[in-house]
Amino acid sequence: MEIPLIGKSKDIEKIRELIKHVSGSSLNVVITGESGVGKEVVAQNLYYKSKRNNKPFIKINCAALPEGLLESELFGYEQGAFTGAHRKKRGKFELANKGVLFLDEICDMSLVLQAKLLHVLQSGEFSRLGSEIDIKSDVWVIAATNQDLEQSVKQGIFREDLYYRLNIIRITIPPLRKRPEDISVLINYYLKQYASRFDNKKFAKPNLDLLKKLNYYHWPGNVRELQNFLKKGMVIGNWEELVDELASCNKTEDNSILPYSARNIVENLSFLEEKNGADLSSFSLKKIKKKALEKIEREVISYVLGKTGWNRSKATKILKISYKTLLTKISDLDIKK
Amino acid sequence: MGKPYKLLIIDDNKEILTAICAFFTNKKYVVVCASDGLEGLKFLESEKKGFDLVITDIVMPNISGIGLIAMIKKKHSNTPVIAITGWGEHPEALASEAKADRVLEKPFELVQLAKLVDELLG
Repeated sequence: MEIPLIGKSKDIEKIRELIKHVSGSSLNVVITGESGVGKEVVAQNLYYKSKRNNKPFIKINCAALPEGLLESELFGYEQGAFTGAHRKKRGKFELANKGVLFLDEICDMSLVLQAKLLHVLQSGEFSRLGSEIDIKSDVWVIAATNQDLEQSVKQGIFREDLYYRLNIIRITIPPLRKRPEDISVLINYYLKQYASRFDNKKFAKPNLDLLKKLNYYHWPGNVRELQNFLKKGMVIGNWEELVDELASCNKTEDNSILPYSARNIVENLSFLEEKNGADLSSFSLKKIKKKALEKIEREVISYVLGKTGWNRSKATKILKISYKTLLTKISDLDIKK
Repeated sequence: MGKPYKLLIIDDNKEILTAICAFFTNKKYVVVCASDGLEGLKFLESEKKGFDLVITDIVMPNISGIGLIAMIKKKHSNTPVIAITGWGEHPEALASEAKADRVLEKPFELVQLAKLVDELLG
């Protein structure tokens, strides 16, 4: 069943437009975004809007299987190819013929397997383990990752040639906190959907005004977290308590405004460690403090400007800074609409 | 002088796009500029009479130049395409594989590009 792409933000509109224009192309696609943003939903939308929609959609998670097993799952094997290969087995590339192969968590694939995948993408052929016979395959490869693909190429853990070959079409799904206007749309959609699964009125309906508070939560687990929250609420029923619990996770000086928790800020700092891991001479708490402060300021000011529809006067009142300071910050921190 | 040639130029780098578009905007050419692959594709789909030639960057967000060339060659196989890229051997090889008519490495002189355009438009 086709799962619709829910949201009214510009980002989601653009993704819908991209899907419309590229779904007939069968060109390799990479979908990126944090865990829980809906990468598989986008892949399925591409599939359902293509002419391949009456053929298989095969999914495989590259992080869930050890290298040897992933290889045999992808390419299949002949009887006797290895100990335990009692009978021949078709791989995902064969099963997905004429359809779509969705390779989730592509960054977790080993370099050896990446080379094999590159070969299939280049030649359109592969062979089962233990066989020398090449099998032609017509598979639309859609890959996804929650990692920074460009960084993985720089670190040498993802092949550059494979990166360029896969990255023909790139769809980036922003995290939910970057598109808060989608939160209420998602809530309405999933409440209706889950209600139909419950037996009529046997679930606890939430107060919609109460749920508005959820727009200010930063949703680190994105849409998946929102879904689980709603399911939990419908089963348990104590919406007020659940909403307050989430709001307290956001607690900083003023939890109704700030989109990030302190924990999240520290998580975001880890990129500094990675970048400077090899060369500690450039590492200092002072530098980190400055960068972190800039990062937080940028995010908070962007968020408040977004909420006020870029009404700078309103934003200065919320932020308790002067108009001049706000303009300087917008320029220095390179904050854009 | 005959009818001007219609060119579609696509690059996500504003400065390069502006420079190329300004260079070709004259009596000989009508120029349509697009700032990414999706915009370029929309121009290609909406322009009923098609373009006489397309110049596209390779590494761009959303729809890469490689994707664009593949789609152009599928629907408008006679439209010549010049791919411009500054990202080394892999994108260049892919552009040739996607049947770009010419591949020009950045940085280049605009006269070099003009020469390729003249060659392809005969």
